[in-house]
Amino acid sequence: MIRYSFTTILLLLASFVVQQFIPAFTSFHHSRILLVQLTFLCAAVTVGQPTMLLLAFIGGFFWDAHCALGPHGGDAEVYTQQVESLRFGYSIILFGAMGFLMQGIQPLFKQGKWQFSAFLSGIAILLYLTAEYAIITFVRGDFTLSTSTVMQMIFTALLTMLFSPLVFWLLFRIAKACDHSIDPDASRRRRPIY
Amino acid sequence: MKPLNLIALLLFLGGTVWTFTQSERAVREVQHVYFSAMAPFLKSGSIMETQSRTFFDEIQHSTKLEVELGVVRNELGRLRIIESRFREMETENERLRHALNYKKTTHFDVVPAQIIRRQPTTWWQTVDIDAGEERGIGTQLAVLSSDGLVGKIDRIYQKQNRASVLLLTDEKCQVSARVEGSPEVGILSGQRGQFEGNPLLRLRFLSADASLHQGQRVFTTGRGGIFQPNILLGTIDSVEKGALDSEALVRPSVNFADLSTVFVVLSADP
Repeated sequence: MIRYSFTTILLLLASFVVQQFIPAFTSFHHSRILLVQLTFLCAAVTVGQPTMLLLAFIGGFFWDAHCALGPHGGDAEVYTQQVESLRFGYSIILFGAMGFLMQGIQPLFKQGKWQFSAFLSGIAILLYLTAEYAIITFVRGDFTLSTSTVMQMIFTALLTMLFSPLVFWLLFRIAKACDHSIDPDASRRRRPIY
Repeated sequence: MKPLNLIALLLFLGGTVWTFTQSERAVREVQHVYFSAMAPFLKSGSIMETQSRTFFDEIQHSTKLEVELGVVRNELGRLRIIESRFREMETENERLRHALNYKKTTHFDVVPAQIIRRQPTTWWQTVDIDAGEERGIGTQLAVLSSDGLVGKIDRIYQKQNRASVLLLTDEKCQVSARVEGSPEVGILSGQRGQFEGNPLLRLRFLSADASLHQGQRVFTTGRGGIFQPNILLGTIDSVEKGALDSEALVRPSVNFADLSTVFVVLSADP
């Protein structure tokens, strides 16, 4: 269990590295595969709440370290209404919320029905992006939601969701290597009865 | 709720509050450590992205290129004629300036750089360039292309000779701007959620009775301490009149979909 939890943390950190090699898909409304979020969401459904929260903290912290922009700078008398940035650390909250959402269907996952989790990971990504956009809108005001933004969010969620079976397969392999069962109910059913 | 889960939740909330209360300087230090660790991957990632983009672009445009070549050849002939005329005018202009004892026109001290990567973030519109602190680049410096203002330096990747540019099309990049041939000044910035085609910029805080028309050029004022004056930003596309003030949509002079070489302004010699 501890070995598996530790490996999922390493897997999440590795996803930050792999994320650097994934380009934006300009022909799909500039959508992207959010591998870090996907790895977290898939891992969240396979671990207990404390590990999920640790993963959420690590994931959100490093994601913000990667994405946070610097201060505006310049003369404050000229730029009187500076555009607000999101506070460093807001992704931790989003990661945590999505983690709790994923844990909601953990009973189904434990029965071996990982497909529901894969589908939910897509919905969770869409919710994550919607929540992020809503926070930006709230902080900066002036509500605007263009079709291209909606399309970008939908395609990002869809593309990311398509990769979830791969991440789940990886998690099952890791669990096997760590001699740990992430779907105990299904494993019990699969075990032959003598 | 199990006691262990409750403790984990409290620790999580405590950690989140601690993160939220970090100062700007502490955040920058965290980012410095993060990007130092990620440096080799960022570099190889950007090389891979550039190569794949070039490859796909070549495939996509190979048929168009032949047609474009013919057009470009014709254009080249036309431009040569224009250039010779331009040279004549330049000489004449220089002579007249001399005669009137005017100072020489201002020249920027610039560092050329190539766009090597578009960042895989969610909303921010940033690009990475292959020039950093080793070439004297620091944050908050203006970035130009031959067509006008591109944006400003947002972050320096230390010891990697790379920097991140916040594009003018992003909402967070604000520029003090003036409209040519009018007394109107305002703040120009990008608009949220514009990814397709050529995004328009929004010029805010114009007077309610602003008399502007389509095609008028928009330049930097030089106020604000970041951008030098008289850098072309774009042209007026449309004007939206309000009760208290007006806003104008500005078509940027730079083609942000096709950025390759940019220039970072180190200083503006008077």
